[in-house]
Amino acid sequence: MADSSPSANLLLLLLISSLYWLFTPGSAFLIDRDHNTSSAPLEPHFTECISREQETFRCWWSPGSYHNLSSPGALRVFYLKKDSPTSEWKECPEYIHSNRECFFDVNHTSVWIPYCMQLRGENVTYFNEDDCFTVENIVRPDPPVSLSWTLLNISPSGLSYDVMVNWEPPPSADVDAGWMRIEYEIQYRERNTTNWEALEMQPHTQQTIYGLHIGKDYEVHIRCRMVAFTKFGEFSDSIFIEVTEIPTKESTIPFTLVLVLGIVGILILIMLIVITQQHRLMMVLLPPVPAPKIKGIDSELLKKGKLDELNFILTGGGMGGLPTYAPDFYQDEPWVEFIEVDGEDGDSGEREDNRASDTQRLLGLPHPVSHHMNMGCSNAISFPDDDSGRASCYNPDLPEQDTLMLMATLLPGQPEEEEASFDVEERAPASSERSLVQAQTGGPQTWVNTDFYAQVSNVMPSGGVVLSPGQQLRIQESTSATEEETQKGKEDEDSKETEEQKQKELQFQLLVVDPEGSGYTTESNVRQISTPPSSGEGYQTIHPQPVETKPAATMEDNQSPYILPDSPQSQFFSPVADYTVVQELDSHHSLLLNPPPNQSPPPCLPQHPLKAPMPVGYITPDLLGNLSP
Amino acid sequence: MPGNIRSVCAVWAMLVCLVFCGKLTTVDAAPLCTNAQAGCHVLSLANLFDRVIQHSARMHGISNDLHSEFELYFLPSKNQIGRVSRNCHTSSILTPNGKENAQRMAREELTEVILKLLVAWRDPLWHFHQSMAHHHDFNNFSSNKSLEMSDMVHELRKGVQKVVEKMQMLGIISNSVSNLASPEALLASDSAEWRLMKDYDLLYCFRRDSNKVQNYLKILKCRIVPEHGC
Repeated sequence: MADSSPSANLLLLLLISSLYWLFTPGSAFLIDRDHNTSSAPLEPHFTECISREQETFRCWWSPGSYHNLSSPGALRVFYLKKDSPTSEWKECPEYIHSNRECFFDVNHTSVWIPYCMQLRGENVTYFNEDDCFTVENIVRPDPPVSLSWTLLNISPSGLSYDVMVNWEPPPSADVDAGWMRIEYEIQYRERNTTNWEALEMQPHTQQTIYGLHIGKDYEVHIRCRMVAFTKFGEFSDSIFIEVTEIPTKESTIPFTLVLVLGIVGILILIMLIVITQQHRLMMVLLPPVPAPKIKGIDSELLKKGKLDELNFILTGGGMGGLPTYAPDFYQDEPWVEFIEVDGEDGDSGEREDNRASDTQRLLGLPHPVSHHMNMGCSNAISFPDDDSGRASCYNPDLPEQDTLMLMATLLPGQPEEEEASFDVEERAPASSERSLVQAQTGGPQTWVNTDFYAQVSNVMPSGGVVLSPGQQLRIQESTSATEEETQKGKEDEDSKETEEQKQKELQFQLLVVDPEGSGYTTESNVRQISTPPSSGEGYQTIHPQPVETKPAATMEDNQSPYILPDSPQSQFFSPVADYTVVQELDSHHSLLLNPPPNQSPPPCLPQHPLKAPMPVGYITPDLLGNLSP
Repeated sequence: MPGNIRSVCAVWAMLVCLVFCGKLTTVDAAPLCTNAQAGCHVLSLANLFDRVIQHSARMHGISNDLHSEFELYFLPSKNQIGRVSRNCHTSSILTPNGKENAQRMAREELTEVILKLLVAWRDPLWHFHQSMAHHHDFNNFSSNKSLEMSDMVHELRKGVQKVVEKMQMLGIISNSVSNLASPEALLASDSAEWRLMKDYDLLYCFRRDSNKVQNYLKILKCRIVPEHGC
């Protein structure tokens, strides 16, 4: 016993300590639970006091855990209105036991005065300091009513839209009297989402919601509170906003329709104008394409395949040249502008004496007739200010002295009749233009060929060009004329020299043709001889000396660069046509000419066999292809 | 050219003179609107009321903000109402406590109440601002608001007095109100109490009183000139 007693004591001690140790926390735990469960029961308390319009208010209570006090009448509500230091607790003026609610009507409601609420049981008073309030701080306004929405606009992309939401303030809140000032908060969300989007609070009864998406369903509700207070009222009932896709074709259909109708209308108008042949409108809508229209020549001749007739006319078949009374082929087209190829000479008008004298001297005629090419644009029928054809015509408004002088000094051509064509004269107010192209009629008409273009009748192997023998005829005649002059009394050396010079010059009216050069030989030649030297660009000669020679200067130097024809007088008596056909180009790019068909080709003319029958005189562009170097 | 420049300068100088002369004359005429027939720009009563009401709304907003900040800062116990209610120095002023009371009250009385309230708060708010300025633990935001609040009370009082004058001129109310405009009569009785109030209580009381003023003004306006947005 004595041996086991200390172990037994130890065991007991252990047991007790363990038990104690077990129990104390456990008991504490249990006790805590018991405390938790059986801690002070929830006292009857007020759950909430709310005023809806700041004129009345209600308070709700609950008995808490005291279920025996839940029967009506078991608990009584008392309130204290601290409007004076001697205020007392009073009982609730109106009970609504079904709700456990105490209602304070208008007579019992005072704003800005603290209220304290109290629940009293049998002998117990349940009072909490937290249940004191002032009425304005417990106001929660009713939700607004009559919530509605209208569509404001749809974005141009057709994906989103804006909506204006309208509502009325809650009827219970006396906003009209100014008793309550309310601000509103709108919240919206998509139909099946959980998060509401809240817009900014504002005191007006409408608000715009921006950026809603088409095709989605939205839910909107609203609540309000007093301005500068914190308690919100309840949310209103939700309204639903949905905008489905609007067919956008409606906006584009009228646009395309308008476009199509407009185009059709314009086309119809144009057709009408064309059909009714309103010439003025046609000029505006369909301006004429300038085509070569020569006065007195039917445009039919200018077409393909009719060159023979054309050449016949141009080369003066029968009458030589174009009569001035050529039938007017274009009288019904007022906008036609003519290239006047006029063979007649007109009145001389005023001309510079130098040239007259030069030409006279050149040709030995008292009244040299100058062929003038009526390059002016003459409108046969009055059509004012038509500029469409001007580019192709010589513009008389720009008197270029050089070209004028050039025209004036062209070798006299072929005057068939003594008629004058005054077309240019009529239209040219300037005297210089008159002096341009007029030639005096009168005098022996000794001209046979129109010499407006020089006729190159031979090309030398070295490249020189022999002009037409038609010049020779005139030379002969001019020589006779000069002889007459000399006989008349001009026995000066100058005259003789001039005569000789003229002869030579006439004979040697040759230019060494620059292989690359172009231009009319006679013109340049004449310019060199008779006119004071002007800028000789375009005319290229091997030797520039003759440019500087004065007309009166003698050229006794036979070593002129001019190339003599071998036998100028013997060879070319036969009449030569005005134009020579350029047969082909040789290796040196010089022109190989074809003599006119009414002549026997001179034997020394280097000539290649004809490759194709070429029309005489006039080359049309479609025949140009037949030329080959 | 010099002639043109001279003429342009002359015209310009004339225009400038005209503008300035016009401004001078108008400046002279504007403040001396003694009677309505003088042709100066007169505000309508409704307009005056609107301005005053906006002012009072703003004042109440500021007082609410300050009160909330105070509550946050000091973390007082949850409900101070029971303790505070006895300490507002304006409790002695009889104010209508409900809408019907306010509507039934005579216009002159209501106007008097408003003026009394505004007068009573001028000095306490000024001292409150002074004490706030010395408290370095307050941020400048609150300090500015307290200054703004005291200024607003002052401005509002002047505004309401103008409204009263206008109403008396129009014959809407009798001339008995003007006697209360003098602050000395009121302060003598209340001078001691507000110094005992703590800052927080003062803010609470002012918040309540500013709400009263706002409501009374609105009710007054909707009784007298109801056509404009009541």
